[in-house]
Amino acid sequence: MKPTAQSSWLFWSVVAFRCVGATVALTLLNALLPLGTPVLALAWFAVLGIVCASLASRSRLTSFGFCIALAVATSAPSLLLHLTNSTLSLAGLASLSVEGLSMHLASCGAVAALGALLTWLFWRARRAVTAEALALLAVAIALFSGHRDFNLDRPKILNTMAWRLGIDQLSMLVSVGAVLLVATVLYLCLASMATRPRADEVAVTRSSGKRQALLGTLAVAFVALLVFGIEKLLYTHYSIEQRGRVANGVGMRSENGVSPLTFQSALGSSSQPAALVRLEGDYNNNPFSPMMYLRETALSSFNGKEMVFAGKAFDTDIPVTKPRDNFTGKEDEGLSNRVPLVQSVYLLADHENAFALDYPVSIVQLKNPKPTRFKGSYRAYSVGPAYNLAELSKEQVGDPRWSPEVRAHFLEQHPDQRYRETAERLTQGIFNPVEKAQALARSLSETSIYTLTPRHEVKPGEDPVAPFLFGDHRGYCVHFAHAMVYLLRSLGIPARVGTGYLTDLSQAKDGHILLRMSDRHAWSEVYVTGIGWVPFDVQPEQVENHAETQVDAKMLEELMGILQPGEELLPHELTKDEKGVEEDSEIWLPDRRAVLAAGALLLLSFVLLKLALRHGWRLPLSPRAKLRWAYISISSALCDIGVNRSEGETRLEFASRVRAAYLEPLARLSVAEAYAPGSTLSSDRLRNVVATVGSPLGGLPVWRRCLAAINPASVIKLLSGGGW
Amino acid sequence: MVARRLRHALLAFGLLLSSAALLSPSALAQDAPAIDAPGEAIVDPLDPFDFFGTEEIVSSADDDTKSADDLIRDGILLLQLDRPLDARTKLLKALKKDPENYRTYNLLAAYYLIHVGHYRLALKYIKRAEELFEKSYGKPPYANRELRKEHSDMLYYLSQVRLNLDNYQGALDVLDRFTSLGYTADWYPGSRAWILMKLGNIQEAIRVARVGVLIGDDGARTLNMLGILLSMNDQPQEALEVFRQAIAFELSLGNEGQPGTPLNNSGEVYEELFEDEKAESSFLRATSYKDGCEHILPSLNLSLMYVDQLRFHDAAAAMDGFDRCMAQYPLKNNEEHVALESLARGRIDLHTGRVDRAIKRFEAALEGTQWFGKIGTNQNDLVVAGLISLSQALTARNNILRTTVPLSWGEWYRAKEEIASNSLRAWWLMRRARQMLIGELNKIEDLTVRNTDSLVEYPTLGDALSGLSNAALEARLAQQLKVDHRPVAQTYYKAYAAQGQLGWFGNSGPNSDLDDVIDTARPRLDELLKTHAMLLRMESLSQSGERYRELAYRVFYTVPAELRNRGFKLPVTIEAAGMPSGLASLLADGPFLPVKQGSGLCVIRSLPSSESPAEIKLSFSCPGNPSKDRIVGDVEAGAVVNKLSDALFREEVPNGSDS
Repeated sequence: MKPTAQSSWLFWSVVAFRCVGATVALTLLNALLPLGTPVLALAWFAVLGIVCASLASRSRLTSFGFCIALAVATSAPSLLLHLTNSTLSLAGLASLSVEGLSMHLASCGAVAALGALLTWLFWRARRAVTAEALALLAVAIALFSGHRDFNLDRPKILNTMAWRLGIDQLSMLVSVGAVLLVATVLYLCLASMATRPRADEVAVTRSSGKRQALLGTLAVAFVALLVFGIEKLLYTHYSIEQRGRVANGVGMRSENGVSPLTFQSALGSSSQPAALVRLEGDYNNNPFSPMMYLRETALSSFNGKEMVFAGKAFDTDIPVTKPRDNFTGKEDEGLSNRVPLVQSVYLLADHENAFALDYPVSIVQLKNPKPTRFKGSYRAYSVGPAYNLAELSKEQVGDPRWSPEVRAHFLEQHPDQRYRETAERLTQGIFNPVEKAQALARSLSETSIYTLTPRHEVKPGEDPVAPFLFGDHRGYCVHFAHAMVYLLRSLGIPARVGTGYLTDLSQAKDGHILLRMSDRHAWSEVYVTGIGWVPFDVQPEQVENHAETQVDAKMLEELMGILQPGEELLPHELTKDEKGVEEDSEIWLPDRRAVLAAGALLLLSFVLLKLALRHGWRLPLSPRAKLRWAYISISSALCDIGVNRSEGETRLEFASRVRAAYLEPLARLSVAEAYAPGSTLSSDRLRNVVATVGSPLGGLPVWRRCLAAINPASVIKLLSGGGW
Repeated sequence: MVARRLRHALLAFGLLLSSAALLSPSALAQDAPAIDAPGEAIVDPLDPFDFFGTEEIVSSADDDTKSADDLIRDGILLLQLDRPLDARTKLLKALKKDPENYRTYNLLAAYYLIHVGHYRLALKYIKRAEELFEKSYGKPPYANRELRKEHSDMLYYLSQVRLNLDNYQGALDVLDRFTSLGYTADWYPGSRAWILMKLGNIQEAIRVARVGVLIGDDGARTLNMLGILLSMNDQPQEALEVFRQAIAFELSLGNEGQPGTPLNNSGEVYEELFEDEKAESSFLRATSYKDGCEHILPSLNLSLMYVDQLRFHDAAAAMDGFDRCMAQYPLKNNEEHVALESLARGRIDLHTGRVDRAIKRFEAALEGTQWFGKIGTNQNDLVVAGLISLSQALTARNNILRTTVPLSWGEWYRAKEEIASNSLRAWWLMRRARQMLIGELNKIEDLTVRNTDSLVEYPTLGDALSGLSNAALEARLAQQLKVDHRPVAQTYYKAYAAQGQLGWFGNSGPNSDLDDVIDTARPRLDELLKTHAMLLRMESLSQSGERYRELAYRVFYTVPAELRNRGFKLPVTIEAAGMPSGLASLLADGPFLPVKQGSGLCVIRSLPSSESPAEIKLSFSCPGNPSKDRIVGDVEAGAVVNKLSDALFREEVPNGSDS
């Protein structure tokens, strides 16, 4: 379809829109995959291609001719340089500079050709707009597809943007989706307006106008729903519990009789930052070095199917306190080989419980150094383990101070006798309980295969650990921890499942540890007499699909910078002029109030403009102004239901086309008034004419009138210069 | 020909001098605990039996009542006690108590520069320290000797921080200030020479270093620097002599000496001279010393050299040694070297068939931040090496996917999808690498074989060069041959030229050159080059020919993974008798080329399964090479073919952080 009768501004609007879109796309592409050639140069060539193709589309050039011209124009410079180099090589003068230039030109030519070709198709091919919209959708889907399976930190470019803006990844995704949608809708509207048929094609115009209005209204409503509603829904769906559940299968709940763990699938081992922990002192006696266990909760009660949280009555060493609450516990004087350790924890993701190094005696709230970055901060005073693991083997298990009830609680066994048989088989010839625990952990480490997708078929009520331990030995930390606890308890060794984070201190810097969701972990613990709960963790030697990733060092450094003394001590000015210091520029983000205020203002403006359009004629105005506003009132109402005056159509033609009895007198009057000001506008006549104003929507169903009321089409038309 | 050897030079003296400055007697004397009254218990942190004293300092119970000076004193003592985090906490508390005390900022700057390697933060602290110092004592020059000493220490930190942040001109400006104020220090000539070298002013750097050697200040380090500069100035023999002196000097210092640095540098000169045994010996000795093991360069050099020799286990062991060494430094997280380590480990993975892991490593290398201030190369060398390696790994991944039997339609579709995206990505990355080689790397300066700046893998650099137009490549090679007359290097250039022709003129032309490369490459030392040439030669051979078989087996017996990575099939005899129907054709879909007749070929035959009747068992055996014998089994025919492929074309090597 050739672009006929489109107004110049529409044509150039579409061209401008395409140019801006191409530039944005190139910039984004360059961020994803460095293009080598400067983006500005590529953007210029893209713009050149788009503009040339747009102008060519208005000429008599055929598609075949266009393709030939395009091929010649885009490949000629690069080919010419190649030929030059080949010729120079005969004289031994071939140069790599020419080769480099040729590569840059080839890139620019390719970009220009792509821009030109798509633009040509846009103007000349009937369904090109649809194809473009679908392609855009496909790109968006491809971009967002990395986000599946709770991988909230993907795609990386969005994650980085979210991080820099200091907003949640989910909010970022929803916002980007909304922006894309709005841009697409806007583009489609412009595109369809630019390629709309002439006014004499009445049927098409009328139906197209209706569709557009409906589409526009629905799109706006949908975007609003997306931003305000779906985000809420998503948050509810991916609540803390849900998000926790899939981070290595280790969730964050701590309700009595409930397990925060899941056995079925633990996809989403994402590197999404969870918290920054700063050690306030050296921890040279760490028995698990370079690893460190940060416990959040412990599951010591067996409910017949799995281990669940038992409450503070049994697990007295677990604070079970919210990250925003203070906690004061009591140091267990009966435990030895412990050292005091202070850690400051700065939460980067929502947490239901505070976590700390084993075991905290006090948790106090800290001033949040940057509320836009951290969701909370506290300092934990722990009594950390300082025992020598090699020397534990001769120790006994259990606490002599336990009551029979507590002892029975920590020894509650799985009814499946296979656990006992397996445990006895694996610890044959070993008599010391700690050595037995070590033997079990070693054995499971050797035979188990780590996978986040075990895909065991477990019916409700069945033991989810049995298919792992007595089956294919494929599972993740939740399976290992449970199996260990069942095996240990079957041998009379008090054990429980600890949950929280397991982190590698070799990736820490200056005692700052960046915890990611992928560090969430569950492990088994044994109570060693006089020592306390000691992790006996299974570290499978075979790994199927769990890739360890390096901590993002830049992010860690940035966070460390936030925790340093503030601007008053280390002002930004100090390093302002220094080379090699890339300070992350602070991006201003409006707070919730500002957004609400701006939204309210926009809404108010919208309502006022609507009122002015529809009822402005009621104001005490001069007869002439009253006539004008009366005409606008009816035209704007028609506009909101998708009936518009076409390009080149006179007001009288329009009034006759829409067959609106109430419009025609107004149109005649205003035309007459325009040609002979003041001659025809008697107050009586005016009174009679304006009496009909307000009726055009009267016969429509309520839902259409409601849609018309919220349709911004008339306001947009007013702001873009009217043309009623 | 520059400076990988340079990379190491300042490290040693930087550590030594800054440690000395941090714990200088003057600082300790000023902050030493005062004895308030006769008979009062003296806290002696250096007394190994005085646990109480240490605990008292570490304890934070009295911190609220202590003055800032007391806390600073505690911080210094804790640093001496090797409790840096406790020290940092004390110093930050001191900062809170007295935000105007320049000494606290100075100590924190030294802490972040030396212990942590957080240069941006160190820069902030040192700038603030200098600002407060000038606020207290006015603008320099200072007459007081103590003040001069403190100020010169600050300038030293500032120059080191700027150097580490790759701000070479800024570092030189600080040194100019240093001399203009009449300060002197033994580290000065070496440091100035290094910075001049980084700024490309080699001749002046040599002059400064020679003066430094003559003065005799910090002799070992300045000698080391001079050696580096001489080697950059195409004076390798003179450089080696200077390094010998530097090593002897360092060794004479006993435990305080840092012989690892000149040893590594001399190894790099030997490497340039293609004296590989001597180079290996130097690197090995370097890694055995403390200063040689705490920096990645000797291990990296050793590892890359072993890769050239196809000694992949040794290469992995060299990197493991570095990891073990870094584990001794609890405050650093190896972040400054993670990119280089990922690159080296990725290459080992690629050549041993662990292509998935190699891709991840190369991606990590390209994403990682490498600080080059104290390393003689730059970010572009690393990026080019990463791009070429990643492109090769993606191509290898495609070749593996093409010879993997899909077990379901879903798997087939995913493989096709991955192949398409990998092909596009590999093409683009290689193109980008070529652009960088021509642009940012100054018209392929890395073409000089064993250019010590470079991180590219020379035997396979031809993959990147072959995409250039033949005219441009030939011109560049001709230019190179005029300046590089090393006999061993000629073999490499011949291989590049042959591969370039292969890319442009197809199968004809370069065969004789490739045969030459195969015959003349040094046995044992240039094995990767030889393998690469054989693989290129195979491209122009018919798969049914005897020569193809011969080369395929030569590659298979040395680097089996490379055969599959490059998309070649291994000619084998398949004994179809007793084999389930269709299995032979599945084997042909895998990395095997069924050959009906031929002597000396490996044989694949079916074995009866003793465990399950449904299980299919395959045995692979090679006459005269029992080390390649494998037996695999599975219930699915496709799975058993894949298992056999993996068993044959993958090698197990240690896996760094995952192990």
